[in-house]
Amino acid sequence: MELIQAHNIRRSFGTGDLRTEVLKGIDLTVHEGEYLGIMGKSGAGKSTLLYQLSLLDTPTEGAITVAGVDILTLKEVKRTNFRLRTLGYVFQDYALVPDLTAAENVLLPIVMRGASYAEALSTANKSIDEVGLRGKYNNLPSELSGGEQQRVAIARAIAGKPKILFADEPTANLDTASGQTVIDLITCLNREYKLTVVMVTHEREYAANCHRLVHMEDGLLVGEEQL
Amino acid sequence: MEIFRVGLLLGVRQIQRTNRWTTILIIFVMMLTFLNLVAVSGILVGLIAGAERGVQEKLIGDLVITPLENEDYVLRSPLLINTIKSDPSVLGVAPRLDIPARIEANYRTRRNLSAERDITSTRIVGIDPTAEEIVGGFSRNLAEGEPLVPGEEGYILIGAMMIDRYTEDFPDIASSLTDVFPGDTVRVTIGNATKEFVVKGIVDAKVAELTSSVFMSQSELRRLAGRNDHNVSRISVRTERLENATALQARLKGLGFDADGKIQTFDEALPKFIQDIKNTFNILGAFIGAVGIIVASITIFIIIFINALSRRRQIGILKGIGIDRRAIEMAYVMQAAFYVLIGSALGALVIYGFLVGYFDRNPIDFPFSDGILVAEPLDTFNRFIILFVVTLAAGFVPAWLIVKQNTLNAILGRK
Repeated sequence: MELIQAHNIRRSFGTGDLRTEVLKGIDLTVHEGEYLGIMGKSGAGKSTLLYQLSLLDTPTEGAITVAGVDILTLKEVKRTNFRLRTLGYVFQDYALVPDLTAAENVLLPIVMRGASYAEALSTANKSIDEVGLRGKYNNLPSELSGGEQQRVAIARAIAGKPKILFADEPTANLDTASGQTVIDLITCLNREYKLTVVMVTHEREYAANCHRLVHMEDGLLVGEEQL
Repeated sequence: MEIFRVGLLLGVRQIQRTNRWTTILIIFVMMLTFLNLVAVSGILVGLIAGAERGVQEKLIGDLVITPLENEDYVLRSPLLINTIKSDPSVLGVAPRLDIPARIEANYRTRRNLSAERDITSTRIVGIDPTAEEIVGGFSRNLAEGEPLVPGEEGYILIGAMMIDRYTEDFPDIASSLTDVFPGDTVRVTIGNATKEFVVKGIVDAKVAELTSSVFMSQSELRRLAGRNDHNVSRISVRTERLENATALQARLKGLGFDADGKIQTFDEALPKFIQDIKNTFNILGAFIGAVGIIVASITIFIIIFINALSRRRQIGILKGIGIDRRAIEMAYVMQAAFYVLIGSALGALVIYGFLVGYFDRNPIDFPFSDGILVAEPLDTFNRFIILFVVTLAAGFVPAWLIVKQNTLNAILGRK
């Protein structure tokens, strides 16, 4: 089943002579349960494409359907709510709230979905356990290593059982061992829970577990390979 | 509800993680703002309240009877005084007889008979020293000398505003006597009658009517003025409680005494200009308070703006993971609420736990009154509500400005 359908996605920045077209007409389909890797050199437009698919940005042209919803017709509040209930995110630099403990970072979107604090805390702690950080519930992000912070970010992304997990170069700021742990975790989530994953990476070895890889160059999809 | 809970969690944690000294400083600023809002106008109003209190305690009492219009004296004064004295709630009754007079000093030492005489016009007030002591604690008003003693004759007390050394700081609006001290002799003229009196004391009480009058025994004044009717110009009454005065007023009116004189409680007897000044000072206090509120709201705006701006990326991430923008805005509004609540609570503690009592015991020495701090709880609460609402708005606006920015730009740190 097709979970994401993107047609003729274009994204440009600036106006007039300064206008830069970063995405130049991309068509892409992601199936339910698929683990898709987006690869390409720096500046190819990988992250920009991910932002369009994940509702963090709006394309200049094109159409995107996610889980059957035409996301470009959604207003700001509905977009936020859609992201909350349908999507999970893992950013390059973990993007944890520094004022909150690991458990609080994870429970925040769960409370936002309507769960009580106690329920949310219980779910958050379980998620933290699942990413291998048992006992680190009350640590602030500053008290965790980079790899641990990224695992908390994954726990936050999956705690609400999203349909799609978007990961934007999740290993970029990690050492090899920590990076591999994070990739193994994402792979496990895809395999165990059939979670659809769209991951941007520019390191081939981290994309080894993907079902499919699409290659980008200069704002265009230039190749695709099944793994 | 979710918005409130998430906002509360974010707000509480932001306050907890903020530098402790920064938090203390912000709360201190809010406390000063609250003090400025309540105490400054309270002291301005307290100037007049102090003057009112002085007039009530030293001159008018709790109930006062004055002549009807077109009358010079309270009719049937003896009967009225006896009726008042028979009321069990009455602590004291002070009848006063006012008669215009002239006083001349230094006439014995004047060498040049063509030189200007040291003379001034005034009102002589005939008093009963014992009754005055009960109603207004008259002896406490003496700046120099000694009080009058019942039955003693040939002595007067002179108000300070009639003596030149007490009026140096005031414009020369009335002539005053030069170098008059207790023990000196002055000449009092009422109509065609003139008599010498020894100055026994100087009255200085920050109540204009006391400091610009001359006092002597009422019986002696009657003799000097040739008055035998026993009616008086004013009857001041001190009751056990203020409510007793209202009840007594009703009783006297019921007995028909309102046909003999104007029967007024203290509040009713206050001149309208006092209430006008009070209202003016209230407006002035509100204006000063408004400036304080504006300063406080700008302070909170800047604090929250810098706080939100420094967390711009974090705000973007929160929006990115699906946190409703209203929850994020609420976190900042809650911070503002925390600062204003704690600051105001401390301010209220300082005002009611210290300042009100302190100024009551140690009034501010103004030329025309002993200023106190007036902080009516309802007024204070109203001012707090204004400060609270303005502060919340000052917290919300910068948060709204930052939160409404593009989510992705915030996450990526783009402008």
